[in-house]
Amino acid sequence: MHYFAGIDIGSTMTKVAVMDESAVVSSIIGPTGPEHRRLAYRVMEDALAQAGLVFEDLVFVVATGYGRINVPFADKQVTEITCHAKGIHHLLPTVRTVVDVGGQDSKGIKILNGKVTGFVMNDKCAAGTGRFLEVMADVLGVPLARLGELSLSAERPAEISNTCTVFAQAEVTGRLANGESVPNLIAGIHEAVATRIYALVSKLKIEPDVAVTGGGAKNIGLVRALAAKFTFPVLVPPEPLLTGALGAALAGKQIYRNALKSGETLQRSGRTLKEATFFS
Amino acid sequence: MSYVLGIDIGSGFSKAVVCEGGSVLASAVIPSVGSYRETARTVAEAALDKARLSMADIAFTRATGYGSGAVDFADETATDIACHGAGVHYLFPHARTVIDIGAQFSKAIRVDSAGRITGFVLNEKCAGGSGRFLQVISRILHMTLEEIGAVSLRSKSPVEFTTGCAVFAESEAVSRIAEGALPADILAGVHKAIASKIANLVTRVGLAPECVVTGGGAKDIGLVRTLEAELGSEIVVPEEPQITAALGAALIAR
Repeated sequence: MHYFAGIDIGSTMTKVAVMDESAVVSSIIGPTGPEHRRLAYRVMEDALAQAGLVFEDLVFVVATGYGRINVPFADKQVTEITCHAKGIHHLLPTVRTVVDVGGQDSKGIKILNGKVTGFVMNDKCAAGTGRFLEVMADVLGVPLARLGELSLSAERPAEISNTCTVFAQAEVTGRLANGESVPNLIAGIHEAVATRIYALVSKLKIEPDVAVTGGGAKNIGLVRALAAKFTFPVLVPPEPLLTGALGAALAGKQIYRNALKSGETLQRSGRTLKEATFFS
Repeated sequence: MSYVLGIDIGSGFSKAVVCEGGSVLASAVIPSVGSYRETARTVAEAALDKARLSMADIAFTRATGYGSGAVDFADETATDIACHGAGVHYLFPHARTVIDIGAQFSKAIRVDSAGRITGFVLNEKCAGGSGRFLQVISRILHMTLEEIGAVSLRSKSPVEFTTGCAVFAESEAVSRIAEGALPADILAGVHKAIASKIANLVTRVGLAPECVVTGGGAKDIGLVRTLEAELGSEIVVPEEPQITAALGAALIAR
């Protein structure tokens, strides 16, 4: 059996997916720390241990995400846009538009037959990214993971008039002091993030189906707020954070197959997992 | 004698200026805390105390700024743009460009030789070009806003921030500090980020000499120097840069 691994070093979370020729055999998600390299090594070891494999069992390793150059044992780096497209096409083949809500960015990607036909990205402003949600969760004293469920009991979303995260933070603090309910505020926050993301993605021609990926997709309140903006059904993969890592593993598989077909020797980095523990 | 009072209720600080005829008698600056209504009374009384006057001596009060509507004892309100123009024109008759760097808003204003406003652009949507950015960074460096200007001037290699977003810069600064970056270099990088946002505003309104910088941001010498480099123009700073709008409010002819 041939195995492939994809590692996605995001600004906030690091994800690894290991797959055989047809399906994912193990996956790991953990926070991205300041030391990408050491973390990349560790999460890869964990994922391999989970699958009962060793590094030598891997035919090809592809790194993606904003920290992809910090994976010394990867055989190739592929952009997260391409990996997202491959990942989502594998999981939900009907999807034409992907909305990825990451920790420090958000993206819109158009796909046709698994290939990227267009994309837009915001990584310049924290509004409309996971960071906005993180800051607000902190202000409200609510764990980030609970924002979604708490927002569902809102009576009416509080309107957040500021776009800027810094100003909105002060606004939410003030509204809280004036007695606005936490669920109403959270619903308003989701509405603000959804508005911002929708404005970004609208620069593309949005076509059904639409999928939401990334950490933001785990927030049911945000997904519903986004769904209300799109007039199409919004799909969420079973583990939305893994989309990029899965796409990276799939990219590796494709590179292997192409090499096989053309009779070429696969170009590998030649690095082993062990070497990654040393800082160059 | 006819005494007039100008009050500027900003989002960060409130200012009051007492004038007699065309000259300044006293001024006061206090942080805007609690209700704007209370703040307005407190800052007015502080300025009146310094002038050895009481509210009863004041013939006319004009309020301006973000919270001007809450100044219940004002006879009139005026926009802060108009007041900045009038205040700066009084201090520097040759001023044609006014850059106000406030706690939440930055503005670029053009004035003519008579102190009339001929154009303005403001940034109210993003903390990236405002005093708030300085506040965010000074907090993580455990410094006061007063300290950062002098410290930043010692920088030899300013940190390059990837974005002008105050929130992203905050986390970037935290990781750079962890990697050993010097506070001076962090601050110089922040000044560069803010100055480039402000320079965008100035370019939109059109730069013409003399250029005067007002607001709390003008007290940060590092920011002023960076802005000078960014604009390629000399900048004049009033002795008390925070009170120009309050001064203008007091001086605008009825």
